[in-house]
Formats: sequence, C-alpha cells, structure tokens
Amino acid sequence: MIRYECFEWMAPLIDDHLVVTSLSGQRVEWGHLSNREGNLLLGSMGNALAVGCGLAMALPHRRVVVLESDGSILLSLFNLPTVANLGPQNLSVFVFDNQIYSGTRISEPTATAGKTDLEIIARGAGIEDAVTVRDLETFKKAALPALTGSGLNFIVAKVEESRGHRKIQRTNMDLLENKYRFVRYIEKTEGKPIFLGRG
Amino acid sequence: MEPELASKLVNGLKAAGINFVTYLPETRLSQILPLMRQDEFFQLAPVASEAEGVSIAAGAALGGKQVASYMEGTGVFVSTYNLLTIAERFGIPMLLLVSYVGSAADKRNSFLYVRRGTRMIPVLEALGIEYQIVTDGENLETRIKDAVRMMHALKLPVVLLFTGEFTV
Repeated sequence: MIRYECFEWMAPLIDDHLVVTSLSGQRVEWGHLSNREGNLLLGSMGNALAVGCGLAMALPHRRVVVLESDGSILLSLFNLPTVANLGPQNLSVFVFDNQIYSGTRISEPTATAGKTDLEIIARGAGIEDAVTVRDLETFKKAALPALTGSGLNFIVAKVEESRGHRKIQRTNMDLLENKYRFVRYIEKTEGKPIFLGRG
Repeated sequence: MEPELASKLVNGLKAAGINFVTYLPETRLSQILPLMRQDEFFQLAPVASEAEGVSIAAGAALGGKQVASYMEGTGVFVSTYNLLTIAERFGIPMLLLVSYVGSAADKRNSFLYVRRGTRMIPVLEALGIEYQIVTDGENLETRIKDAVRMMHALKLPVVLLFTGEFTV
C-alpha cells in the first residue's frame, strides 16, 4: 500500500470536511489530488495534529481530518495525551507511517522502523479508537467510518516508501494565500467572520 | 497573585472578547484558571507543552475563536518553533499571557529563573513579536483590550508579560 492510492480513494469522500496536512510528500500529493478551499496545507512538521485539534474544538459540528506522518507525530508526541483528554469527537487523524524521514532522500529510518508502535502509544495516551492498517482494503474499512461518522479516530496506515510526490508539479500557493482561502471558506460555510478588527 | 488581581485579569480577558484559552499552569498567574473554569464564556484547553498550546490556539483562531495562550516565560522558549512556523508564518492573531519569571520586577526572582527573564525580550524581538510589560492592575482591562486590538490589526501574536504585583 502506498499513500497516494489511499489519498485517491479518500479524496472523493471529502465533502465539507476541513483537512489539515503536515509537511512531507503528503502535502504535495493531497494538494494535487484535492484542490479544495477546505484544505490547510501547513507545511511544517509536528503541527498538523495540534492545529486540527484547535479547529475541531472551535467548530465541533464540522469534521476535521488531519493527515500526518510518522516523523511529524514523533516530533510532537505530547499531542497525543492532550488530544485524548480534550477528546474532540469530530477529529479523524490519519498517520501515513512509511517508517522513514523521506525528506532526507536517504530513507533515514524513524523510530517506527524500530521498536515504536504509534497505535499503542495513542491507546496509552487515551485515544481508544486507534488502529493500524497494512493494506488498502483494511484501510478503506477503517477510514470510511472515520470520514463519514463521528468520534475521535486515530488510524495508523503502514505504507511503503514512495517518491511519486517528487514528480508532481507543486502548487505555488503561498501559506498566507492558503490561510485566507481556508478562512474565507469557513466564513462562507459558517456564516460568521473569522478575523476581527477595523478595516 | 492576589485574588482581586486574578479576577481583574480574567474580567479583562472576557471584556476583550478572548473566549478560547490554551494553558500550561505555572507558579505566578495560575489563580486565573479556577476563575475561567467557572465561566462558560471561556473554552479552555489544558496542554502538555506550550508548543502545542500555540498550535491548538492557532487552529481555534482559524475556526473563529478569539484566542489566548497562557504560559510561563519558559514556554516562550519552548514554543518558539510553533510561534514562528504557525503563528507568525500564517499570520494568526493570538494573545500570549506570559508570566515574566526572572524579570527585574519578579518578586520571586532567584538564580533559578533569572536567565529566563533576562533573555525574554531579546528572544521576542528576534521573533518580531510585539509585547507589553504589565506590572500592576492599573488600567488592566484597557491594556488587555489594546493588546487584543493590536493582535487583530497585525494578525500576529502579541505578548503580555506579567510581573511585579502579578508575581507576589
């Protein structure tokens, strides 16, 4: 199973979800497959889960989908007990665990290539609905209720290293442009202003 | 901090419209927490690290909340990466409520805290983050409102550094 085929299956299921991605190839791949106003392509490691949690708390009636990587989750492991205890019931976390720091270009292994199990860490932190999947069919079975139902879900998708994102034309949308597009989309769909202050 | 000052601070936040607060409790300002917990106006998010306190607050701000993150001065150092890569880079209006431990007016200053205090301003200035030092409760509500107006105008974090009477 590779991340891109998971994304190809997920993209048509995204409706008014708010999707937050971390860095790595997933930002490129998701942006390529799903050019939606509800995408926030963060472009930094160790932040997507926390930002997604804040969004989910602010908008409890909206489903927030966080696309994370093993390296990014490992950078901010303290997120797991915090998110578990805050317990937003509209947050689905997908960790595409390729067991390497792909940006290194030398396939440097992460801790999950060794003894570390992110599902067990998530469960230990208090996220009860945590699961690991290793093939596309099992991924679909776990992901479908996470995308269409409620709850706090944590899906660790063990994926093979893939370098397809390096062949994709990257968006030239700046981070600020992405923020404003995302915020205006929320304003439009929620019918309320996000940023305050005098013009 | 005297209970009256804690109430004044919480009332000031409410009057300024702050309705979402992430926090990691510490030694100087924590009396504000029970007061905010009693008031449904505030949505609170306890965190394990000030780093995620900034990022969770940023997410809530993008969802339409008026946010603050409460932390000890050391939390500014811990959350520098998040302040830079999320709050500053994306331009997120956010109030940082920081106990200015180790500052000259910190009534509990000691060799344990002083370096954290003496390096605070250079770090904030290096990050390009606006700050105000607050030593007493005079005009507190106005000062909080001014900081909130500034954070919305800049669309950036603004820091209130609490010392003096707040550290008793």
